[in-house]
Amino acid sequence: MNFKRVIAVAAASAFALSVAVTASAPSQAAVNFCKVTDLKSAGGMDALVAAAKKEGKLNVITLPRDWANYGEAMDLFSKAFGIKITDDNPDGSSAYEIQTIKTAPAAKQPDVVDIGVSALNGVIGAGQAKLFANYKVANFAAIPSKWKSETGNWYGDYNGIIGISYDASVAPAPTKIADLANPAYKGMVALTGDPTAGQEPFMAVYAASVANGGSVTNIKPGLDFFKKMKDSGNFIATKATPENYIAGAYKIALTWNFNAPGMIAGAKAAGKNLKFVIPSDAVLAGTPYIQAINAKAPHCAAARLWEEFLYSENKGKTSTQLTKADLKVSGSKLFNLIRGGQNIFVSGGATPILQADMVAKKTLISGPTGFNVPSGAKVYQPTPDQQVDGKTVVSSVWPTL
Amino acid sequence: MPKTSSSLSRGSAPLWSAATRKALVALIALAPLLIFIGIFFLAPIGAVVIDSFRNNDGDFSLVNFSDIFKEPIRTAMVTSLSLASVSALTAAIPGGILAYLIESRGSQKLRRIVASISGVLANTGGVPLAFMFIAAMGAEGSATGLLKLAGIDIYGSGFSLYSFWGLVVVYSYFQIPMMVIVFSPAVHGLRREWAEAAMTLGASKRQFWTRVGFPLLFPSFLSATLLLFASAFSAYATARAMTNGTIPLVPTMIGNLLDGNVIFDEVNLAKALAVSMVVVTLVAMVPYLIIQRKSERWQK
Amino acid sequence: MAKVKFPRRSQLVLGLTLVVASTYVVLPLASATEFSLRQPAKKNYGLDNFSWFMGDPDFVKYLLISLGLAAYSALILLVVLVPTTVWLNLSGSRFRRMVEFLSLLPLVVPVVALAIGAQTSLPEFAQTDETVLAYMFAVLALPYAYRTLDTGLRSIPLGTLIEAARSLGAGWVRAILRAVIPAIRGTVLNALFMTLALSLGEFTLTSLLHWDTFTTWVTTMSQSNILGAIALSMFSLYAVFALLLAIGFAVRQPKFHENSEEE
Repeated sequence: MNFKRVIAVAAASAFALSVAVTASAPSQAAVNFCKVTDLKSAGGMDALVAAAKKEGKLNVITLPRDWANYGEAMDLFSKAFGIKITDDNPDGSSAYEIQTIKTAPAAKQPDVVDIGVSALNGVIGAGQAKLFANYKVANFAAIPSKWKSETGNWYGDYNGIIGISYDASVAPAPTKIADLANPAYKGMVALTGDPTAGQEPFMAVYAASVANGGSVTNIKPGLDFFKKMKDSGNFIATKATPENYIAGAYKIALTWNFNAPGMIAGAKAAGKNLKFVIPSDAVLAGTPYIQAINAKAPHCAAARLWEEFLYSENKGKTSTQLTKADLKVSGSKLFNLIRGGQNIFVSGGATPILQADMVAKKTLISGPTGFNVPSGAKVYQPTPDQQVDGKTVVSSVWPTL
Repeated sequence: MPKTSSSLSRGSAPLWSAATRKALVALIALAPLLIFIGIFFLAPIGAVVIDSFRNNDGDFSLVNFSDIFKEPIRTAMVTSLSLASVSALTAAIPGGILAYLIESRGSQKLRRIVASISGVLANTGGVPLAFMFIAAMGAEGSATGLLKLAGIDIYGSGFSLYSFWGLVVVYSYFQIPMMVIVFSPAVHGLRREWAEAAMTLGASKRQFWTRVGFPLLFPSFLSATLLLFASAFSAYATARAMTNGTIPLVPTMIGNLLDGNVIFDEVNLAKALAVSMVVVTLVAMVPYLIIQRKSERWQK
Repeated sequence: MAKVKFPRRSQLVLGLTLVVASTYVVLPLASATEFSLRQPAKKNYGLDNFSWFMGDPDFVKYLLISLGLAAYSALILLVVLVPTTVWLNLSGSRFRRMVEFLSLLPLVVPVVALAIGAQTSLPEFAQTDETVLAYMFAVLALPYAYRTLDTGLRSIPLGTLIEAARSLGAGWVRAILRAVIPAIRGTVLNALFMTLALSLGEFTLTSLLHWDTFTTWVTTMSQSNILGAIALSMFSLYAVFALLLAIGFAVRQPKFHENSEEE
């Protein structure tokens, strides 16, 4: 009997204690950042920054430093928020990114990806939209609806234009793609790779097509043009890489405009003078690359902060301008202090996806001159469906060029 | 070999019959290799083989294998085979001669140096090798320049490093050292005593070579050449670094389909291509196996 | 008189051949090295590009990772191959053809296909331990190592050696370690060289399996400094060569072999 009473009292007090504890606990339950779908459900920018800082790491994948100035984006993000960024296989392909998400062990999973549209179609079309997590950045509404998913599990970030990179010693300086067949350029013209394997050379073939009477629905004139150049000896089968350029293997290449600033700087450091021009006979824009957050991301808050950062239109400070005093500032204030990803892409020569919005709000910085669409020029942009047709034609013709 | 020398039966009545013991020994001897190959090679390849019999929607199908006989894969296969054969032959002969000269006439120090250099060179490839050759024999290469001084303009006469023959030249940089490494032990085994014995019996140098030397060396030479063929056939990094798709090759095609930025829905076709490469090598091994069997009697 | 002239002429042939071979080997190396020594900002030549990467804190770290993996893969191959090749040569078994074909297979399959297969077939625990790379490197080096060891074993009186060792009281393992391996010392060394060089230069498999070794670090570092990137690849080549040379000369040949075997 005494014993029973002791138990009753103990149970009652335990119950009371637990009620008291629960009642005094913070009314807001801990946020699971892996399920957060926008800034509001994250609890605001301050909360997101705090959580990301706590995670301290971000896994990115296949981001070359001089690609649309990703190097600056990574440096700035790292410095501002104290988050260490690991870049898995910077030279890797979009296929590598998808394959990694599908097969890599948990520790090697990327947090975010930047893939080509064709890769996306391959993934989404196969009903694998679940690979990516839904998250709508603050500026989500400003992203053109063609380049984002309704649920917010993928969204375009920037795109580029095909232009002509050429060594300063080349005379006469090329201004049109059609010019490249000029005998003066014998043994000089190269592509950055195989059009059946790389977006850049694939779009270059489209550009050649537009410049030679074709269009984004008819890629054959482009292939014919390259065949003509191959036969005349103008087009050589070497790959247009920075090292090959330094060694003098080629002098002229068709490249993305957002790769050119990095190449030019690198060439200068190596003692050579590289120039870039947008061809006047074909302004060929590629489809935007696509950002997405991995559903299995190991660092959910950092991933979401990175996306907010990439879509921020702030003019702000660059990594070299950031001071120690700046770093002491709180989350959202710090975020507004630094340059946003969209403008960093601009400084790299790319066209940011939010360009229209930035022009309207006057938040667009001026990028390097000579890398953007000349005013009034007609821009050609092959849609993903048109690219599928183009791909089929190129795959069968290119190997036997 | 005395049968009772086996430590299994020392001092006691044998537990198993000789045949079982022989099988057991075989198992112990082969087990490490088989387990190792099983886990780290056969299992991955098995995964590839299984997928090669699936079409790109995942259903069982033979469509990949019929696609192999259509363009552009057919051309790629032919080009790859020609490149591999030409590369193997053009490297086997100089490599074989080099191996012979060094093994038979070189000092031990020389042989050590050659072995380490060959080991490094046989593994060069990809971007570094491509760059080295572009620096030497590209349009503005050092060798190109030197030849121009001597009055020979190789690019003027149509040579290009980025052509089929250019690839053969680049491949030879790792093929010849590989031949030296793989063929040297065979030359080493050609005893000087046999040459001397032949001379004593009245054979001329030529007769020694045609009756004794070449027949003894030929199987090893052939197997080494086969190795070179397989190596050139599957060379991936170097082909990728040197070409941009206008020289169609099967390994680069596989790379484009598995690890590219343009085509994402033909992964199983790539796997079928890999399987077909194995089949081709199997077929290429047949002549070697026939010759090997015939000359086994020479080897001990 | 014929005996005196013969060796001299044969040495001449050897010498000439070596000169030609050396030129062929050195020219591409020298041309690339010249680029690595360029210092455009200072308008002279020097080692700036080399000190650039050597000063990086990760340089030694990744170098050691690669060296460790290379050594481990060489060990794996020796452990796996020596019993098999010795037994095959002793017993002249019909398994030989099967093993020869198996050993050739890794050479025929493009590395990229092997990597994709490994991603799906290797169990989770294997993919989280970096030493799995050592096993994969060993697979890649298998064709050369097997061929070299096998040919080497064929050229010695294997049966006699083992019998002699065992009749003196040695067990199987001791007989192999003390009698056979020293006899094929040069061959084992060659096989080791190939394995080490391959492991130290391997990139495709490493990057597709998401690991970081010296070679992947080189690619990351190479991104913005072109001349530095060239210097780094040249360094890799020379470093491996120096390593192999050092190993080659560290392994000394005992005197009593010189009479019966020209090693």
